[in-house]
Amino acid sequence: MSQVSALTAQGLGKRYGSSWALQDCTLEIPPGSVTALVGPNGAGKTTLLQLAVGLSEPSAGGVLVFGRLPREEARSVLPRVGFVAQDHPLYKGFTIGETLKLGRKLNPSWDEEIAVRRIELLGLPSGKKVGKLSGGQQAQVALTLALAKQPELLLLDEPVASLDPLARREFLQSVMEVVADTGMTVILSSHIVADLERVCDHLVILSQSRVQLSGSIDDLLASHRLLTGPRTDSAAVARVHDVIRESHTERQSSLLVCARGHVYDSSWEQNEVDLEEIVLAYLGQRTVRVAEARPIGEAVRS
Amino acid sequence: MIWVSWRLQRTETVITAAIIALLAALLVPTGIIMANAYDRDGISACIRANGSDACGGVIRSFTSRFETVAGFTSWFTLVPGLIGVLLAASFVLELESGTYRLAWTQSITRRRWITTKLGTAIAAALVAALAMTLLITWWRAPFVRLEGRMENGAYDFEGTVAAGYALFALGLALAVGAVWRRTVPALVVAFVGYVAARIFVDTWLRQHFVAPISATWRELAGKGGPSGSPPAGLDHAWILNQYPSDRLGHHIDVKLGACFRAAGVHPGKVSCLVERAAVYSHVVYEPASRFWLFQGIETSLFGGIAVVLIGFAAWWTQSRR
Repeated sequence: MSQVSALTAQGLGKRYGSSWALQDCTLEIPPGSVTALVGPNGAGKTTLLQLAVGLSEPSAGGVLVFGRLPREEARSVLPRVGFVAQDHPLYKGFTIGETLKLGRKLNPSWDEEIAVRRIELLGLPSGKKVGKLSGGQQAQVALTLALAKQPELLLLDEPVASLDPLARREFLQSVMEVVADTGMTVILSSHIVADLERVCDHLVILSQSRVQLSGSIDDLLASHRLLTGPRTDSAAVARVHDVIRESHTERQSSLLVCARGHVYDSSWEQNEVDLEEIVLAYLGQRTVRVAEARPIGEAVRS
Repeated sequence: MIWVSWRLQRTETVITAAIIALLAALLVPTGIIMANAYDRDGISACIRANGSDACGGVIRSFTSRFETVAGFTSWFTLVPGLIGVLLAASFVLELESGTYRLAWTQSITRRRWITTKLGTAIAAALVAALAMTLLITWWRAPFVRLEGRMENGAYDFEGTVAAGYALFALGLALAVGAVWRRTVPALVVAFVGYVAARIFVDTWLRQHFVAPISATWRELAGKGGPSGSPPAGLDHAWILNQYPSDRLGHHIDVKLGACFRAAGVHPGKVSCLVERAAVYSHVVYEPASRFWLFQGIETSLFGGIAVVLIGFAAWWTQSRR
């Protein structure tokens, strides 16, 4: 495996009209990782993935896939990237067999065996029209098309959003099998972290068009702590650690922090937090910032 | 990509072929009947003999017999537009339904996808236009020998213009569709645009390609001298205007009705016309010899605009961010 990262974004931004769909996005996806791209609807997940596969062009900064520009160097990037868009578009009038033929015609690195085996495993007759398949089956056909291309990077935009729980599980199972077999780098987006937690080892949180957090899930779990103690100001803790979210009752304060080293103050009771809590804390972060901003504004006025 | 492109355009291509087949089903039987009648009546011999009275009767009976069918075929002038617009559907449909995201994320470049898709649409449009031109040209052959092919009803189906019309409709639908990304409205708008452009060219622009020729001749012998004859080949020309005039070609408003009422019958009409000094005829026409010049100009006009429109659709889609 080369040292070039699968995907690098530097100050990446995308503007539609006057509003930014993605802003100041800097991140690096190591090869071989399986990354969950999490954020609420409209956070910029689709925009980021479309930029990575060259469907759109950056308005600011840049993105590199295996060290190359997806749009300008499409010829060398496209064969290495598999992409399944959110609504997994397929030609509805094609039969499954014709869909595979399309994949074969349009991809030099096409592996017919992978494709045929997957379709057989799914139990789908190759003469059937794609438009007549269920949503889950269509998603699987779209995934098959992306996988038989033998990409090194697989981008899946909200792959399970439109699927029922069973199809969801089957789809993710398929992805996990491929990852285990090939060591492919995968980025999956979702607005629900619980969907992806079992599958992923990296996490990127997007919210309000910006990257809020990015890193390996193990590191994130290790560095985030929930501190609970008698009611107090968070300032002392904030001098050393990053306070992501704080809540206070009359007697008690609880802080979710990203710890920069050990938390020494023994007045705090420390607890581990699970991934979902971390995600929710980062997604809700903005309201905290707004609350913090007010006293500063008053200070300036007085 | 070529297989994919044809497969995606299959429905449109089948419909186009069906339209041509339908034309053939209408035109081949009537065409055979017409050609037989033409031979049986000995019209070609008649034309060589250059118009005895008996011949005039034969020709008149032939034209009146097939006039209705010939008039009906003038509606076929919409067919190139229909075909052109239809063949744009596959391209616009991809942009509307979002399947372009599937196509553009395979291993081929966006440029190759665009050129192949546009190429298959252009190829189908040209083949269809050619087939239609050959079919109608064969069918109209007897009429062309009698009346020439400069008049609007014939000119639109002969030569190369139909290919230009089909490409123009295709280009217009592609350009509108590339920007709008809605298939049905884009196709409808493009078809209306096609009809408007054709009406404009047919009724106004075409006669200005080259300034028409005017001629005046003495229609009736009388005090002023013997009668003259109309310019040669006028029966094959496109006559833009013809009216009774004075010697200098100025229009004379002959109240024919008044003449008829006054005298009732033919000789009376003559004297009535003479009384009003309308013994000359003035004609404004485009001669048949300009046929290929006009065809060249009009094909380049529609073809040129089509190239610009198709190029615009390609550029717009390619540079979409």
